[in-house]
Amino acid sequence: MRMKVYTFPSLSRLFYRYRDLAPQLVPLSYIDKPDVKLPYELIGSMAELKDNPFRQRIAEVFSEDGEGNMTLDDFLDMFSVLSEMAPRDLKAYYAFKIYDFNNDDYICKSDLEKTVNKLTRNELTPEEVCLVCDKVIDEADQDNDGRLSVEDFQHMIVRAPDFLSTFHIRI
Amino acid sequence: TPVPSWPVRTWPWGSWGLGPRSDALFPVCPAVFQLSRKVTSVVPESCLLILLGLGLGGIVLAIAKRAEYQLEPSMFFLFLLPPIVLDSGYFMPSRLFFDNLGAILTYAVIGTLWNSFATGAALWGVKQAGLMDAGVDAGLMDFLLFGSLISAVDPVAVLAVFEEVHINETLFIIVFGESLLNDAVTVVLYKVFNSFVEMGPAHVQATDYLKGVASFFVVSLGGAAVGLLFAFLLALITRFTKRVRIIEPLFVFLLAYMAYLAAEMVSLSSILAVTFCGICCKKYVEANISRKSRTTVKYTMKTLASSSETVIFMFLGISAVDTSKWAWDTALVLGTLLFILLFRAVGVILQTWVLNRFRLTPLDRIDQVVMSYGGLRGAVAFALVILLDGDKVRAKDYFVATTIVVVFFTVLVQGLTIKPLVKWLKVKRSDHHKPTLNEELHEHAFDHILAAVEDVVGHHGYRYWRDRWEQFDKRYLSQLLMRKSAYRLKDEIWDVYCKLNIRDAISFVDQGGHVLSASRLTLPSMPSRTSMSESSVTNLLRESGSGACLDLQVIDTVRSRRDKEDAVMHHVLCGSLYKPRRRYKASYSRHFISPSTQERQDKEIFQQNMKRRLETFKSTKHNVCSAKSKARLKKDGRKKVRCVGALTCTHRASPSFLPAAAVLVAVDSDDEESDSSETEKEEDEGIVFIARATDAILQGKKASGSLDVCPSPRIIPPSPTSAERELPWKGDRGDLAVYISSETTKIVPVDMQAAWKQSISSLESVASPPGAEPGPHAKTVAGPAPEERQMMPEPRTCFQFPNPLLRSSRSQSAGSPERTEQPELQPLMAPDEHGRMSTSAGPSNSRWLIQFNRPARFSDG
Repeated sequence: MRMKVYTFPSLSRLFYRYRDLAPQLVPLSYIDKPDVKLPYELIGSMAELKDNPFRQRIAEVFSEDGEGNMTLDDFLDMFSVLSEMAPRDLKAYYAFKIYDFNNDDYICKSDLEKTVNKLTRNELTPEEVCLVCDKVIDEADQDNDGRLSVEDFQHMIVRAPDFLSTFHIRI
Repeated sequence: TPVPSWPVRTWPWGSWGLGPRSDALFPVCPAVFQLSRKVTSVVPESCLLILLGLGLGGIVLAIAKRAEYQLEPSMFFLFLLPPIVLDSGYFMPSRLFFDNLGAILTYAVIGTLWNSFATGAALWGVKQAGLMDAGVDAGLMDFLLFGSLISAVDPVAVLAVFEEVHINETLFIIVFGESLLNDAVTVVLYKVFNSFVEMGPAHVQATDYLKGVASFFVVSLGGAAVGLLFAFLLALITRFTKRVRIIEPLFVFLLAYMAYLAAEMVSLSSILAVTFCGICCKKYVEANISRKSRTTVKYTMKTLASSSETVIFMFLGISAVDTSKWAWDTALVLGTLLFILLFRAVGVILQTWVLNRFRLTPLDRIDQVVMSYGGLRGAVAFALVILLDGDKVRAKDYFVATTIVVVFFTVLVQGLTIKPLVKWLKVKRSDHHKPTLNEELHEHAFDHILAAVEDVVGHHGYRYWRDRWEQFDKRYLSQLLMRKSAYRLKDEIWDVYCKLNIRDAISFVDQGGHVLSASRLTLPSMPSRTSMSESSVTNLLRESGSGACLDLQVIDTVRSRRDKEDAVMHHVLCGSLYKPRRRYKASYSRHFISPSTQERQDKEIFQQNMKRRLETFKSTKHNVCSAKSKARLKKDGRKKVRCVGALTCTHRASPSFLPAAAVLVAVDSDDEESDSSETEKEEDEGIVFIARATDAILQGKKASGSLDVCPSPRIIPPSPTSAERELPWKGDRGDLAVYISSETTKIVPVDMQAAWKQSISSLESVASPPGAEPGPHAKTVAGPAPEERQMMPEPRTCFQFPNPLLRSSRSQSAGSPERTEQPELQPLMAPDEHGRMSTSAGPSNSRWLIQFNRPARFSDG
């Protein structure tokens, strides 16, 4: 699922940004393919990210080790997925992965509960969350197995009019 | 014998007979059209108006034998156009506008230049090819002049047609913004070519072309600058109109019009001036002027714009029958029609191709089709062509005829067909459907995800600069241009909070109307879902007082279970989803005023507050219960104080001045305020007062135990010591025991009912302020047995727990001083209390605090 869609300027910009996060860790030259990972603590501690409920999940999904420690490749991948050129299915797939907290390839109720709780800052009561999740699954579940598969999710997301236009970043 | 002929001449169709009458008739037409939805769903209003005008003109022509009326260019430019432009500028969704500014400017400047040159040159080519009648005596310059006036997309026509098509916002703002901003180009081109024609092509030198280019920048930037200047002036003036509320709205219109005239006077682009004046002043003006003035401005502007539009289209129809000015040339007419359509399409495609390389969301094929097809010409072109000097431009009559045909073709044919076209092409419409739960959830999630990723990469795009601008605005501009109170209130959420209370109160009154959203209606009809904490005051009211459903219509709305659940879920989510920084939607409509984003944000904040309050509501209940189980005497009091302290902590995040339950009562007093007392009170102050005053009442209430669960964050404000003195539980431990023990759930409904009745009664008589006659009630509280209070036979009494009860409840003799105090509730709404109340710092200067301190004094004395 790797595709490179950057132009050189944006690539270099990304690299410097990556390096700025930890100048002492990241070498300037990647010719000898150093094995550098930015720990999640560095990324998650950025001031802008402080309020973001999904910061950890994003880092986890896009990092190869699944724990939020990102190599430069991971970093670039993250943006290729979110760039305009990335096909819709790829985006939907990654969005799905972000939701799939327990990595079982299904969005089950517990995943949704986590999402809802994150989105509402734990302001809902458990019963309310439960109701919301039931409703969401009910809306999108095509095969009636009580959880959302990738197909369910894509089917649902493709119908959402704004998905493609909102789910990308231009750098 | 009477004079023979003049009565006949002046009879209705005489020059001063029809004028006023038909003018009075004009605004009626859209009203009629609006009524007949069936017609207008197919035919745009502008088409109908033009046809009506044609009919009217025909009648006049038939009777008077000559065309009486014309769309006079001077009248058009001086009186009819400014209101429309001001309206569109003032209500322009500015975020959307500035987001798409690049595209808009490209289309407006380059597109218009291309259109006019290409059209002019092509027509000249046709003439050279000998296809045109010899009577069309025009050279290259004449054709370029004609091209410049015929190629400008007309804001009036675009607005009239697109408003009814409901295409998506981006597309609309691009076409509409283009039509507004191309004015500068049109004006410059028109003037330059006009002077070239008058000088004669032979005398035009190279420097003249350069001057033309330079004058473009002067005209456009100058126009915008004039607009900004007047916007600044306007904002500054409204800052100081506190004492002259009545003429506040007048200033808005006056200064905007002055901007128009000033720009017109120095021959800058007047449309640009007014547009920018409207866009830029709005924020400050809205903050400065009072709410009533705001409403006035809003409706007056919409009304003026609508009537101008009506008049313009009618006059277009009427003017068209005047055949004396016509000179028909088929080749010219057909050529013009063909070329403007062709070149518009070519221009749009080329420019979009370039723009799409820079746009985040590209404009696709279908968008381009709509954009090129939506290039409507209108009254501006017509007025400009009438303005031509027939001696210098010898082909003027031909041009007039062609322009009329073009205008009619674009407005009638294109206007009629654009709706089916949009439907057929499946252009993304601006849809107002309710998103599914999934969409709502995921879009929020996506926004957060995107924001996170952008932050990781440190991407400083448009949003970054907007932030910078907002900071600058906040630090300097707002301070300079906004009223102190407005400015301060702005960043304190509590102003918002007060407004929301009012709004909620109003909706509380006309429940069942459109004010209440469907969800609010559904909730009370489902008593089983009491766990669903729908976060509106009304529901809070109804929910807790489910025994006393206050609204009869509520019961009538029977929905399927599924619908109900859907709505409830949506609103559970709505209330608690917190928004990332982005997300804004905006739209522009002449006839329907949509709630601004500000209002939506208000709503969100408000709902969050209510939510939190509910939470504390519950938690306090717990605390109180535990307190109850403990020893009652001294310990009890201390415990209470402590838990209140804890509550204040939790509340600090939210607008912390008002106790939760104040809302409940605020509703009632608001009713009274909004409905019965039409006497001149400044609303804002009224609200401020109410929030606090009910607060006062509430304290009494609280002491009574009916709503003891409500925290009273009012203690937080600056002087905690003075506030503490007022707290019922602080000094008065004996009472405390009573009200804690009487804490039952049953009392709440009774009290609600009481509150409601109270408000009704106060509706009937303004004279009796809420919470008057405290005497009997004080007695009740003093009554030691909680059971007695539960049964509470007379609701009125249990509602009116005035603050004085704090102390006097023990000594019933204090009844008389309380009475003297009550009348002060009303005078407090006096307008000039506003500033002082919001500060609440100086106890000496506000009657308000004095009132609160009084009970303390009672106890001391």
